[in-house]
Amino acid sequence: MSRNPEEPVFNRIEEVRTAMGLSRQELADKVGVHYQTIGYLEREEYSPSLVLALRISKTLNQEASELFSLTSFKKGK
Amino acid sequence: MSKKNKIYWLEGVTEKQVKSLLNDENSKFSWLRRQRNRRVLVLFMAMGIIGTALGSYYTGLKEELRLDGSAEIVWLTVAVLFILFAVLVGYSLLRIAVRGIADAPTELLDERQVRVRDTSYRYAYQISGYLLITLLLLYLFGPEISIFSDTANDGSYLLIATLFAYASLPSMVIAWRERDI
Repeated sequence: MSRNPEEPVFNRIEEVRTAMGLSRQELADKVGVHYQTIGYLEREEYSPSLVLALRISKTLNQEASELFSLTSFKKGK
Repeated sequence: MSKKNKIYWLEGVTEKQVKSLLNDENSKFSWLRRQRNRRVLVLFMAMGIIGTALGSYYTGLKEELRLDGSAEIVWLTVAVLFILFAVLVGYSLLRIAVRGIADAPTELLDERQVRVRDTSYRYAYQISGYLLITLLLLYLFGPEISIFSDTANDGSYLLIATLFAYASLPSMVIAWRERDI
C-alpha cells in the first residue's frame, strides 16, 4: 500500500461543534490549537494526527469513529 | 506556565512576541493577512532583494541607463528609498502577515502550524539552491554581459541580498502558499 499524505480525513467537527454551540475559537482553546487549524480541519484541508483527533473527539463527547472517517459522511448523519 | 517571558535564542524570538503574533492582538494588521495582500508583499520583498543585489552593479547600470547629474540623484534616491522600504519595513510586515510562524519554536505552535513551518523551510532550501546557481552563473558569465561587467563590484550588495533572502525566504514561502494564516 502506497503512502498518500494528501488522503483526506472526513469529519463531522463543524456539525457537532455548532450543535454544541461552540465557536471555532472556543473549540480551538479547548483542544489547544489555533482557531485557523479548526477551520482547516472542518474544510477537510488538513488531516489531524491521532492525538489531535482523539482530543477533539473527547472535547465534543463523540467516539473518534463517529467523528472521523476515511470515507465521506452522508448528509444528515 | 511560567509568567517569565522566555527567550528562544536559536530562533531569535521571545515567547511574548510569538504569542502576540499568533493571537489576534495585532488585529489592525488583519488586512495584511489576506492572501492577495501577502502575495503583493512577497513581490515587493523580492523586488527589494533583487534591487539590493543590483547595487553591486550600479556603475554598469548607470552607464546602461545613461544616467547623469540630477537624473542620477533622483533615480538613486527613489531606488534607495524603495529598497529600504521593501526590505526593512517589508520584512517586519511579512513577519506580522505570517504570524511569525517561520521563526516560532515548535512548542508554541500547533501541529498544523509546525507542518506549515517545516514545509516552508523545505521550499526555502530548494529556492536557495536556485539562488546559489544564479550567483554561480553571475560569477562565471557575468563579466561577459555589459551591465554585470563592473570592475569596481566587490560583491558586497550581492552578499547582503543573499543573506537577506535566506532570512526571509521561509516567511515569503508561507505568505505565498497558505490560504489562511
